[in-house]
Amino acid sequence: MTKTQLASISDHNFEQCLKCSICTVYCPVAAVNPAYPGPKQAGPDGERYRLKDPKFYDEALKMCLNCKRCEVACPSDVRIADLIQQARMKHHSHRPKLRDMMLASTDLVGSLATVVAPVTNFSLGLKPVKAVMDTVMAIDKHRTFPAYASQKFETWFRKNAEKRQNEFAHHVSYFHGCYVNYNFPQLGQDLVTVMNALGYGVHLLEKEKCCGVALIANGMYNQARKQGETNMASMRKSINQQSRPVITTSSTCTFTMRDEYPELLGVNNDGVRNHLSLATRFIFNLVDEGKVKLAFRHDFKMRVAYHTACHMQRMGWAIFSTELLRMIPGLELIELDQNCCGISGTYGFKKENYETSQAIGAKLFSDIDAAKPDFVSTDCETCKWQIEMSTGVKVLNPISILAQALDIEKTRQLNGVN
Amino acid sequence: MKFDTIIMGGGLSGLTCGIALAKKGRRVAIVAGGQNTLHFYSGSMELLGSVDDQDVTHPIEAIAALNENHPYSKIGAQHIASLAQQAQALLADAGIKTTGDASCNHYRITPMGVTKPAWLTLDGLATTSHPDALPWKKVCLVNLEGFIDYPIDFVAHGLRNLGAQVETPTVSLECLKQARRSATEMRATNLAKVFTNTSNVARLADAINTACNDTEAVLIPAVLGYDNDDACNLLKAQVKAPLYFLATLPPAVTGVRINAALKHYFQMLGGRFLMGDSVENVVIDGDKVTHINTTKLQAMSLQAEQYVLATGSFMSRGLVADFERIYEPLMNLDTDAPQDREQWSKYGMMGDQPYMSCGVVTDKDFHPLKDGSPLANVYAIGQVLGGHNPITMGDGTGVSMLTALAVANAINS
Amino acid sequence: MNNNNKHYDVIVIGGGITGAGVARDCAMRGLSVLLLERFDFTNGATGRNHGLMHSGARYAVTDKESATECIKENMILRKIARHCVEETDGLFITLPEDDLAYQRTFVDACLAAGIRADIIDPAEALAIEPAVNPDLIGAVRIPDASIDPFRLTVANVIDARLHGADALNYHEVTEFIINQNRVKGVKARDQHTGQIKEFRASVTINAAGIWGMLIAQKAGITINMFPAKGALLIFGHRVNKMVINRCRKPANADILVPDDTVCVIGTTSDRVPIETVDDMRVTDQEVQLLLSEGEKLAPSLATTRILRAYAGVRPLVAADNDPSGRNISRGIVCLDHEERDGMAGFITITGGKMMTYRLMAQIATNLACKKLGNNATCDTDTTPLPGSEQIATQRDGAKRSFAFNAAEGRHGTYTSKIKLDTDADRALVCECEGVSVGEIKYAVENQHVHNLLSLRRRTRVGMGTCQGKLCACRAAALLGRFDNNIPKAQADLAQFLDERWKGIKPVAWGSTLREAQLTATIYQGLCGLDKAIERKEGSK
Repeated sequence: MTKTQLASISDHNFEQCLKCSICTVYCPVAAVNPAYPGPKQAGPDGERYRLKDPKFYDEALKMCLNCKRCEVACPSDVRIADLIQQARMKHHSHRPKLRDMMLASTDLVGSLATVVAPVTNFSLGLKPVKAVMDTVMAIDKHRTFPAYASQKFETWFRKNAEKRQNEFAHHVSYFHGCYVNYNFPQLGQDLVTVMNALGYGVHLLEKEKCCGVALIANGMYNQARKQGETNMASMRKSINQQSRPVITTSSTCTFTMRDEYPELLGVNNDGVRNHLSLATRFIFNLVDEGKVKLAFRHDFKMRVAYHTACHMQRMGWAIFSTELLRMIPGLELIELDQNCCGISGTYGFKKENYETSQAIGAKLFSDIDAAKPDFVSTDCETCKWQIEMSTGVKVLNPISILAQALDIEKTRQLNGVN
Repeated sequence: MKFDTIIMGGGLSGLTCGIALAKKGRRVAIVAGGQNTLHFYSGSMELLGSVDDQDVTHPIEAIAALNENHPYSKIGAQHIASLAQQAQALLADAGIKTTGDASCNHYRITPMGVTKPAWLTLDGLATTSHPDALPWKKVCLVNLEGFIDYPIDFVAHGLRNLGAQVETPTVSLECLKQARRSATEMRATNLAKVFTNTSNVARLADAINTACNDTEAVLIPAVLGYDNDDACNLLKAQVKAPLYFLATLPPAVTGVRINAALKHYFQMLGGRFLMGDSVENVVIDGDKVTHINTTKLQAMSLQAEQYVLATGSFMSRGLVADFERIYEPLMNLDTDAPQDREQWSKYGMMGDQPYMSCGVVTDKDFHPLKDGSPLANVYAIGQVLGGHNPITMGDGTGVSMLTALAVANAINS
Repeated sequence: MNNNNKHYDVIVIGGGITGAGVARDCAMRGLSVLLLERFDFTNGATGRNHGLMHSGARYAVTDKESATECIKENMILRKIARHCVEETDGLFITLPEDDLAYQRTFVDACLAAGIRADIIDPAEALAIEPAVNPDLIGAVRIPDASIDPFRLTVANVIDARLHGADALNYHEVTEFIINQNRVKGVKARDQHTGQIKEFRASVTINAAGIWGMLIAQKAGITINMFPAKGALLIFGHRVNKMVINRCRKPANADILVPDDTVCVIGTTSDRVPIETVDDMRVTDQEVQLLLSEGEKLAPSLATTRILRAYAGVRPLVAADNDPSGRNISRGIVCLDHEERDGMAGFITITGGKMMTYRLMAQIATNLACKKLGNNATCDTDTTPLPGSEQIATQRDGAKRSFAFNAAEGRHGTYTSKIKLDTDADRALVCECEGVSVGEIKYAVENQHVHNLLSLRRRTRVGMGTCQGKLCACRAAALLGRFDNNIPKAQADLAQFLDERWKGIKPVAWGSTLREAQLTATIYQGLCGLDKAIERKEGSK
């Protein structure tokens, strides 16, 4: 009887739930959408019944944003959102719609769109096209699709940066993600600038697939699993054979690959997880350990409101980004209260979710208005779309702010880069 | 990452301590593994409510007679009054207005319709200065249609028993139609989110004014004021009769508001709040903690001059009971828990349950003992402390705040 | 209700499953019936067992007669009590420490008793029941099932009423009305008013379980019964889908049953003094025994949260010529006191098992009918109970509310009588178990609900993991409103929470202790419930 009752072990800790209801206070969806039963009912309460009979699975569970704010709030470490996502995986019956497949297949659609970017961007912005998307595709007409870049990040990298990366003393691989590749290569370029200044060469992974977060959200689990396996294989090679840790600039991609892969998809990320990090965390650690030094421009001034993206919150890593930003002498930092912006990846793009999505974000938007920042900063690209669309304030990734604030030449010198 | 002080636990005690330290310019980090017991809050702080099953009228006097193991006795009865003042001022600085006086308890009105001694009550909540009397002869006790976390008949019965003439109208608002439609989510806090919209507050005020005529006071459940008390004040301004709030079943809007205000203030003072992270590993060398690791920051250790343990009791997982023993999970500190499991609790739920007063053992300066010796750079505060039963004594929030301040003052000096 | 002037054919004493079954059978045969229960229905052993619908396999080797009775009744209950039964099937597993040779003996005995018993490969057993101990070396699949005794009893009471019977819970028989060695009726105290009422009948049937011994004493009759305490533990959720038994001679803690949203391990067996049977507490030794044995059936029990511990008392009857109780039978005992003791108009039906309640009822009713000259036949084996009339409804659960689906498991086809048309009625009072305001109203109006305890047994309010944290207050407020009696509702709330605590206390560690602390924080700290029940009413 050595093990008896010394630990409580249940799927996602669901029976550690004390029914205290704290999760319901912080669920952004239940507050604005009565059709969603809330995290307590959808999660641990529902789970007991689903164990009895699968007929207790409720399709309303698909309204969960998977923002994980319930898990962050839970004082008992119940992985409420994982329970909900797992129930969806186990019991959902509907095949994804064309629209959902399109929204979910970020890299496929991205590849097509980049080739014809000017046309795509032009047509995505046209009113008649938006109307068609609204009615035929059920993508809300209020949404501005993120513009597609005319040149993919990977193309830029190969043309302009790849050659000199081997000259550095240290090396990392960069999982750029779909957003950097197709929509905003500038962030990737900023990352290369910053890392190079610190003496780190930046490399692409042998093969990079979309992390799969949108596939998970849209019920395409097998595809997500496949892509996860590919990513893990590439990263293992980078870490083990090339001794290159992997960094990213997207909190959601990072969270998905570190936590959702093993918890939800059953994709083994052993040996990768501890070497896969957000760039801000990676850089902060280097500074903290005295391995690199940063020199900042004297003329840099910026008032920044930092928004902690949901998955950033769940990872508990906001402190790395904010501490890094606080190192910048001319930067005035306001930490916004913890609220979801409402977009949650592809969720807010769907017509049926538009109102919910904007209602969820309302508090954050008004806080941003009140803070009157020059820029909002966040580590999540979909938060960026949502905040820019809803507040008109420009959003920058902390790495882009760093790239602007660093005195690159001086930083290179400090770190012995020629 | 280096700090002056690291506080483990982000509840009332940890936040109070963090604010008091940050105010003096110290670099403070709070590690909070989830939300806290303020979510079950009554709207009042209590210093000492009951001794030997008798209500306490003058807590400061009564504190002087407590036994030596009680945390207040360690603080020293002579210091209680000034710390109590400091606590009230700290709340005010964070934007939390309270009324009350440590020298003489007032009474709050519970969801069961009884009065309980209180030290500080959030502005706007209904209180009375006498346990068996109300300040009004005629009250209008309002509920919102469909809200079941407020046993209004119990409250009404209690108020009638105290001599009031009570009317209990229910108001029905179109803006709560959505909330009513949910089978589970018509909770106080979700209603408070609806009332962050000022036009919804105006509708509520209209409905109350229509329903309540010729009354000395309107009492409504505390379902307003999610982020701040703007909505509460707006409603008070728009309702014709004097209006007061009454505590509901959890989650408590008042507690959520206080929690947010304290956290916001702490961060404003430069404090770092690591939300949703928890301490995984505390490294002790001799009689000192050298650093800690958390589940989220992993290899990146956190270091500080002092470490404050404010992890709470069992329900907050500051103490753990398993099949074999009761222990403090982070440092395996000495506890005053009985060895034998059968002695942890006893039959008769409402009795003095021994587990309720279990906690870590400290020296008189709140340094916790490990294997009999105090840890020199560690302090324990709040509900993780043994020596008192917050349920039977009505001293929970008082112990949380006052031990936090006593320790913060010691660190600051 | 004042029944003093009505003369019944039969008074049944005891609102457990046996009494309810007798009342139903008598009423269906056209007798006028009064059922009296001193507390709530199912308050005794009926409400404190495994909820196991035995296939009879457990008794096959040692008691063929019981085994045969069980499998017959098992097949009948599947038809007449569909909504109370979950057809889980069961396994009898052999562990390395057990004798595998016993398996053959066991299977042969099962087949001889008419019980299907298939030896299956241990790997197959693990596949169909992943919770089972993976070390098993043998497995037999048998038609065990899970049955809800609360629903079963209430369905019998309701059917008795539908056939004209009167049923009164909270009426305690205080004495018999005896005239010239004939029981003419009983005096009973209404527990709520304290009023003593007289009820007269031609035949009185004592179906009071272990308390039947004390009832018989009131008529000056001695029945030699031995109270046997059986302790059980309830876990927070289902770990198993099938009933899991040990394939060996029946012993302690060798049955794990999935019941509704939980699972239950039991039981122990210890003789206890009759004076103690009204307040059974589970000891630490019993908890340890149940855990250590339970882990052998399903190892995950070692790391699964325990909600509560409880104990029932079996009414074991010794043969009349064996006052020492060495030859205890678990069979059905029907005593005609006219024949045995010269006391006419009085029958005791006892012994037996919950599984065979219907047969017990039939035997007792046959005797009563004989005394009353009634020739009607027994139809209880073919007539479905209320709620079980139709084949279980189609699985369109996903389209219906959680509250409806949860209620359907409790009320079967009668769920359609629950009003869930308004937002207010659909609101959940008990979130763990999905009990809506509408369901509570239905139970109060139709199911003899007098307090939270009886409400819990009808609806599962407060039976979930939180054991009443928010729902008890919500439900008490509703009951207070229906009764228009707030002090009673608050006292009831305190009593209910204390009753919950009684079961929690023996297992108060881990999350269960945390939960208890939170409950106390809410009810005593925040609400001041303790002060409310001490308050002097109407002092102003």
